[in-house]
Amino acid sequence: MQTFQELILKLQEFWAREGCVLQQPLDLEVGAGTMHPDTFLRVLGPEPWRVAYVQPSRRPADGRYGDNPFRLGKHHQFQVILKPSPLDVQRLYVKSLEAIGLDLTKHDLRFEEDNWEAPTLGAWGVGWQVMLDGMEITQFTYFQQAGGLELKPISAEITYGLERLTMFLSLSQSIYDIEWVEGIPYGQVRKQEEYELSKYYFELADVTFLQSQFDGWEAEARRCLEAGLVLPGYECALKCSHSFNVLDARGAVSVTERVGLMKRVRDLAVGCAKAYVESREKQGFPLLTAEAREALGVSVEVASA
Amino acid sequence: MPKGEYLLEVRSEEIPARMLEPGVKELATRVFEELMARGIGPREVETGYTPRRLVMILSGLPEREADREEQVMGPPVRAAFAADGAPTPALLGFAKRTGLEPDQLARVKTDKGEYLAATKKIEGRATREVLGEIVPRVLAGISWAKMMRWGSGEGPWVRPVHGVVSLLDGEIVPFDLFGIAAGAETEGHPTLSPEPFRVADVADYKRLLAERNVEVRPAERRRVLHDTMRSRAEALGGTLVDDPALLDKLTAICEIPGVMEGRFGDAFLELPAEVLSTSLRDHQSALTVADAEGGLLPCFLTVMDRPDDPAGRARSGNEWVVAARLADARFFYGEDRKAGLAHRAEQLQRLNFQEKLGSYAIKTERIVALSAFLCDQLGLKAERLHAAEAARLLKVDLATEMVKEFTSLQGVMGGIYAREEGHSEDVWQAVYDQYLPASADDPIPRGKVGQIMGLADRMDTLVGIFGLGLIPTGSKDPFGLRRAAQAVVRIALEGGLPLDLEAVATEAARLYGDRLTRSAEKILDDLRPFLYDRIRYILGLEGFAYDEIEAGLAVGVANLPDLRARVDALHKVREEAAFLSVVLAAKRIANIVKDAAEQPIDESLFVEPAEKDLAAAFEGLRAEVEEAASAGDYERCLRLIAGLAPVLDRFFVEVLVMAEDENVRRNRLALLQAIGKTASRTAKLSEVVVDKAEARAKAG
Repeated sequence: MQTFQELILKLQEFWAREGCVLQQPLDLEVGAGTMHPDTFLRVLGPEPWRVAYVQPSRRPADGRYGDNPFRLGKHHQFQVILKPSPLDVQRLYVKSLEAIGLDLTKHDLRFEEDNWEAPTLGAWGVGWQVMLDGMEITQFTYFQQAGGLELKPISAEITYGLERLTMFLSLSQSIYDIEWVEGIPYGQVRKQEEYELSKYYFELADVTFLQSQFDGWEAEARRCLEAGLVLPGYECALKCSHSFNVLDARGAVSVTERVGLMKRVRDLAVGCAKAYVESREKQGFPLLTAEAREALGVSVEVASA
Repeated sequence: MPKGEYLLEVRSEEIPARMLEPGVKELATRVFEELMARGIGPREVETGYTPRRLVMILSGLPEREADREEQVMGPPVRAAFAADGAPTPALLGFAKRTGLEPDQLARVKTDKGEYLAATKKIEGRATREVLGEIVPRVLAGISWAKMMRWGSGEGPWVRPVHGVVSLLDGEIVPFDLFGIAAGAETEGHPTLSPEPFRVADVADYKRLLAERNVEVRPAERRRVLHDTMRSRAEALGGTLVDDPALLDKLTAICEIPGVMEGRFGDAFLELPAEVLSTSLRDHQSALTVADAEGGLLPCFLTVMDRPDDPAGRARSGNEWVVAARLADARFFYGEDRKAGLAHRAEQLQRLNFQEKLGSYAIKTERIVALSAFLCDQLGLKAERLHAAEAARLLKVDLATEMVKEFTSLQGVMGGIYAREEGHSEDVWQAVYDQYLPASADDPIPRGKVGQIMGLADRMDTLVGIFGLGLIPTGSKDPFGLRRAAQAVVRIALEGGLPLDLEAVATEAARLYGDRLTRSAEKILDDLRPFLYDRIRYILGLEGFAYDEIEAGLAVGVANLPDLRARVDALHKVREEAAFLSVVLAAKRIANIVKDAAEQPIDESLFVEPAEKDLAAAFEGLRAEVEEAASAGDYERCLRLIAGLAPVLDRFFVEVLVMAEDENVRRNRLALLQAIGKTASRTAKLSEVVVDKAEARAKAG
């Protein structure tokens, strides 16, 4: 029987050995690990990058007051980015499953087509949902575009759903029954939070306040971008996106409004992506090797600027 | 002696199920065509695939292209020799270029005069060389439905490529595909037999793969899956509920056809069978097992990419997921029943049908009114109340949790909830069947009320979208209007509903009030040909010939059952000899009276006996034809007309229509016009295509 945190530890250990930066979760509300700047921004431009981290992911509309044994308003993703995608990335992924204790000669592992698209990020990719014994345990994507930009090199994104994976490995009947650490069930750590967050997102959140938040963070993001501050600008865009998700869960977004709001978030994401690539180029794409830099015709400015 | 056997295997990461079949077909077809064009086509082409490999085997390939000769044109003869017969520099230059002596050149006559020409021998290339050039080009050029790039930008292709086996009679045909060199090495099943191994030739390849848990022939995987599932279902005491499309998918997501059998809790059997099988199909790609009473057993069958399940993990995993999914479905079902359809109906106001055409609540009002109109048109009195009741419930399930989760259950869920809430059979079945027929294999709705609903809903949609000018073009048909129009045609035809669809469309347009941007007349101008195209298609499927349908359509469509009766009559009598003469006569009449103004017949103006006889014969016939037509006996109509054949033939032989006397001429035209009109009571006979040779033979 494997605990929730053992799973995290084993995945971290495995991917650290593959040369990934073990990053920490973004300290802002996001809907998925993809929105972490170490994924969304780092996949842009020519520089190589390998990173792995846990990202608590909030999807207010998926909340079920802690009543539903399979659904959460906030779950945890283990996110891996390998850029460029190595030719053996699929084999590495399979080895990571063995690392968490799966004997694949006893299981049925299949990769079924599942393409990913995030309109609010101007991003899409091609890939699979990975099915283990009929259960989706991982989303595997080759990013093709992000922030409206064509990507080169291509990044492979591997996203493990940690709760589902733990639950499945132990065949638990409820998320709340899995053990976070031996003796402490997940429910003891998170159930009250699920209940209170559902209560807030569905019933209490102040619509007028959230709408003003959306407008405010959008304006703030633009001010940042105008001042050439890409990273704070992107954080403001993420806050905007979260305000939208809460409004949506609150039932305060009509069909026609929805399209407009999503476009506003997308415009910010596209703006950030463009500004980020420019900023990295100005710094001379410091993660590139000297030869690669020369091939692109860029030079490194003073790194301390 | 070499066998001329070529083996190609491309290993890649998992190719999407829907793309495998078209991908491998395109590969084989294009390679075959290119080889044929070079005169080195194979005797046999065999293809196969699994999610991780595309396979093509060519056998009976010739060793090399034939040598051929090519003629190279030189200077004209007049410029080749000087006046004294000596070769000119032009001739000498050409001879030098082609490496021949001047006297070895041939003389060739062309339109522009006589020319000198050299015959060049071109040696045919070895098939091996040609394959090495064609195969990588065709592979890289396969038009996958969705492509990707990987790594530092390799591609585009469907998925990253990992290995290529390319062997002609055991020897490597080298080439490079996205940086992967073709060779003789492959791998077996990725988790069960992952070790790489070398392949000697085709026979070796087949044997070694079979030992390594891979079956590359999809038809064989499908057969094994189907047979195993059927026998498992029988062992469970039931019968497999067939689902060919799902079986195709399962075939395309495994390398080895293992069947996974699982069970779910009996308690879930309280869910309607439709919900169980939809959840199992959509979420778990699983088939169900029916019991003797038509209910379901608490079992499911799906694929696993392995021959057995020694630790029972595949089974316990699938059962765990299914239990979670069905628990979700049960939750939605409970919520919906608690809320009730009346409560959901209020939510239709917030559900957009189409931005400019308003909500589903407003659409519901229109369907209520339009279905009443349809009942009146058809003289259905008893059904009127039930139609109104069904129309009010028709779209309500779009607001239920179950349909939000499983859109494919729209209609079905509404029908089930309506049944549970005690609505009559007429009503719940009408709601249940409203989206039928969704495909060519589907039947039309069971009852009259259901047929009315199917027509009212779709005519409202067609007129609404056409009324905004959003007419489908090419492959673009976001509202599924072609399918909707096809369903309208089928329901009217197969339901035997004598409806004037143009009147229905006009009423539908009126019900939209000022929401539409175009007038009813404009809508009809576009909708009529659109519907006619579906009618041609459907009647064509029923086995009627193109010209029979055109002849039927050409005289207008009062209603569809009538149209079919007319086309059918034409189909039955067209081969009769007398009828053939009438068709020929009709064509002649159509040509002659094309531009003539209509006018009454004046018997006193007839001169020739042949025209008097014709007029008399026709007069005797006219009322009878009309009577038969009114009674819908179109065969009799056509046979009556055919009876005119001898007198008509005689008329055309003995009478000159274009007489000098204008009154006589006009009167003859008037007679022919009247005959033409009566003959067209069933179909425009001049549209019927006649085999000229056959016609001559019959005319003697």
